Parts: sequence; C-alpha cells; structure tokens
Amino acid sequence: MAATTISDLARPSLAKGVRLQSDSTTGKNVLLYPEGIVELNETAHEILSRCDGRTLGEIVCELAEEYEADSNVLAADVRDTFSDLQRRKLIEFK
Amino acid sequence: MTMPRPYALLAEITYRCPLHCPYCSNPVTVESAVPSGEQDGPTALRTAHTTTNNGELTTEEWKRIIREAAALGVLQIGFSGGEPLARRDLAGLILAAREAKLYTNLITSGIGLDDDRLRGLRDAELDSIQLSFQSDESSLADGIAGARAHERKLDVAAKIRTAGIPLSLNFVIHRGNIDRLPQMIALAEALGAERMELANVQFYGWAFRNRAALLPTREQVDRAREIANAAKARLAGKIDIFYVLPDYYETRPKPCLNGWGQRYLTVNPTGDVLPCPTASSAIPDLRFENVRSHALDWIWRDSESFNRFRGTEWMPEPCRGCPQREIDFGGCRCQAALLTGNAANTDPVCEFSPNRATVDALLHEINSSNGRVHDWTYRVNPTHVSVPA
Repeated sequence: MAATTISDLARPSLAKGVRLQSDSTTGKNVLLYPEGIVELNETAHEILSRCDGRTLGEIVCELAEEYEADSNVLAADVRDTFSDLQRRKLIEFK
Repeated sequence: MTMPRPYALLAEITYRCPLHCPYCSNPVTVESAVPSGEQDGPTALRTAHTTTNNGELTTEEWKRIIREAAALGVLQIGFSGGEPLARRDLAGLILAAREAKLYTNLITSGIGLDDDRLRGLRDAELDSIQLSFQSDESSLADGIAGARAHERKLDVAAKIRTAGIPLSLNFVIHRGNIDRLPQMIALAEALGAERMELANVQFYGWAFRNRAALLPTREQVDRAREIANAAKARLAGKIDIFYVLPDYYETRPKPCLNGWGQRYLTVNPTGDVLPCPTASSAIPDLRFENVRSHALDWIWRDSESFNRFRGTEWMPEPCRGCPQREIDFGGCRCQAALLTGNAANTDPVCEFSPNRATVDALLHEINSSNGRVHDWTYRVNPTHVSVPA
C-alpha cells in the first residue's frame, strides 16, 4: 500500500542519524545507523547516492536514462526500495 | 573457514555508574577500576576525575584501540560502561572514532550530561545517543535505578533534541516495569525519539543474581509482545522499535552475537578484549587477553578466547547435527555456562537441550508463585557500597 503512495515530487533523504559510507574492508557501500549496518547492492547505492534533494521523479528519470531501462518498471522498484527503507526509519521524505 | 572481520566494537570505558539498576550486565565482582579514595555514588553525578586511575585504560590507550579496531574492519563503536560520562575524555574519544570513520554511538544514563558536555559531544559529531530509561515516571523509575534520576533524564532528552543529536530511548523490561509498556512507548513518542529499544532483560551479571525478582510471568510476556508488535506497526517510519525477546520463554535460543568471534568485540575498562561483554564473568575458565599485552588484530584472529567457540567445530550434540547450527549458533555461551556450568553446552533455552529443565523449573516457580514479591539486590559500584540519598 505504502509503495504506491509515495509521490513523484517527494524528496527522499537519509534519515537523521543514518550515514552512507564505503566499507574499506569490502569496498562495498553501507548504511550505518544506531547498532545497525545495511550492506547495499549496486542498485540500492545508485538510488541512495542520489538522495540529496532531488525528487523521486528526477531520480527515476536519471536511472532510466543511465541504465536504459523502462521507467515505469524502474519507478516501481525505486518506490519499493524507498518504502522499505522508510519503514525502517533509514530514509525520510521532505 | 575464512577469518571473519569485526563490524562493531563495544567500548566499556568505565564500570563507574551513578545508577544501581538491579539488571545491570556488568560483572557482579569486578577488579578495582576506581582510584583509591575516590567516592562514587552521589559524587559520580559530578564526574570530575582523572582518566589514569588504577586499572582503567588511559585516553591514549583507547585512541590506539580505536585505530586498531578501524584497521581490523570495525565500522561502529558503542561507548558504554558503567556510565561513559564518568570519564572526562569521552568527547576526545568520540572525536578519535570519527576521525577513524567509525559510526559513534553513546549508550548512557544521561546523568552528568550538562550543557557543556553536550556541546562537546555535538562538536565531536557524535552520531547517536541511546538514553536509558527505567520506566515512564519518577517513582517507579527511581526505585529501579536506586537513584533519583528520572526527572534529570527527561531534561537531558529535551536537551539532546535541541542539540539535534539523534535519540534512541532504551528500556530494559522486567517484572517490575513490564506492565507500563504502553506508557513507556508513549514517553518515547512524546520525547521525539527516532528509535526505541524495548529489551526484555537478559540474565547476566546483576540480572542473573536477581532473576527471581526480574523474570516476568508468561501472561505479562504475552501481553508485552502484543503491545510491542502493535506499536511497531503503528509507528513504522516514525519510531523504529527494536524488541528484544525474553529468551527464557522461547523454545529456540537467540543467535547470540551472530556467532562467537564473528562480528563483535568488547574491550572492558581495564583492557580485556572479550567476544561478548558478559563473557569474563560468566565463563571464568576462559582466559581473556589484554590490549596492554597484545595487538587487537592478534587477539581477534589468534587468541584462544576468540577461537574457542568460533564456527561449528566445537559444538556438542544436539547442536552438532542440528540444521539450525548455522542459524542460532547453539545460542549463548554465557547462558550455557551460567545455567549448566559448561560454556560448550547447548544454550539450555533450546527445547532440544538436555538441560532445558533448568529453565523450565525457574519459569514454573515464577508462574506459580501467585504474585509473591522477590526483593532484588541493587548493583554496587566497584569498591564502594553507598547508595545516593
């Protein structure tokens, strides 16, 4: 339900207390939060590294262009990712 | 087996604490880590002390540990204790951890966190504060803490909000406060916390000694689980609630530490390096290495204490042949030691443990005692026995 309610105009950002950083042991990117670490796959990192004031719609457009993907399919994936991260209080919308 | 790398370091920088919570996981007996002549208790609320007292690691020693931990792969550090604010060099240690790119988390009672020190923590760019609460209101909370602390904690929580540092509220849940769970959740909402830890008490240290007084009834536990689940769903995206199960009431053991020597390490106030903070008191026959004698890297990779229960080779039956062995790792070594006298046994919480009866006997006693009240023993600080007036 929540996955369909995030607006194209929503501006996702990392939630307070959450850091995006590279793990020098593995070279992978991780989200760090109180007593928690999430290892990001490449897609999740591509999405999260764009959460700097851009709107969800803009992020989807950029990714669709970069990966030559269908933007409708991509938009659903991006919304799912955001929805999951928001429930875990790792991102928020402005 | 490839050698795992640690992700998180728990830095127990002092065992000194102004509170006396009967569920504290600190060792019930600790070697003197307080300078002679120093009075703890009420004076600890002011916390102005040297950091080179007998036993406790120095500032420079901690900074070296932080650098070594980061080089080993550690990404997160929790500053804990005791009350970490009892050390004046806390902000400097946080700064050192930030310079090593660690995510920094302060686990505190809040007592001693005045404006000056809060500014120091903010300037050091502390990532997060976990503030402990004993209940939602003063009389019960102070009765549990054995100190007048609750009102000050409320004040501190407000200041943390103002300073803009992310706030988690930590509650340890036990028979004495479990019926106040809805009010505790409401307090976290009112204080604007981002996170909340509702941790059913785990029985180590002082909590193990006080089990009869702290273990809730099955009815209380069932109700608490429902309340926590409902709050989790209701507050999703607003407050992240972490609920720690009351493991005596489970039938399968917790995947303690995600396996011994796999992800976590603890350094205690005097420099012993432990796979788990409660291991030194729960498993007396295991010898732990000290940062004053060895590099952290060697202790993690090569020491007897970190390798004793690594992987699955050490496991006896029923763990050895169990399909869950890589999921729960046989449960908790400390619990096995405390309840069966042998740390290599299956955690007796497990329904397949030949020692499950020891847990069931305790549950039976609690659930058939018709509300009989057991007294608890308050935690005392090393080398002193006074309780704040």
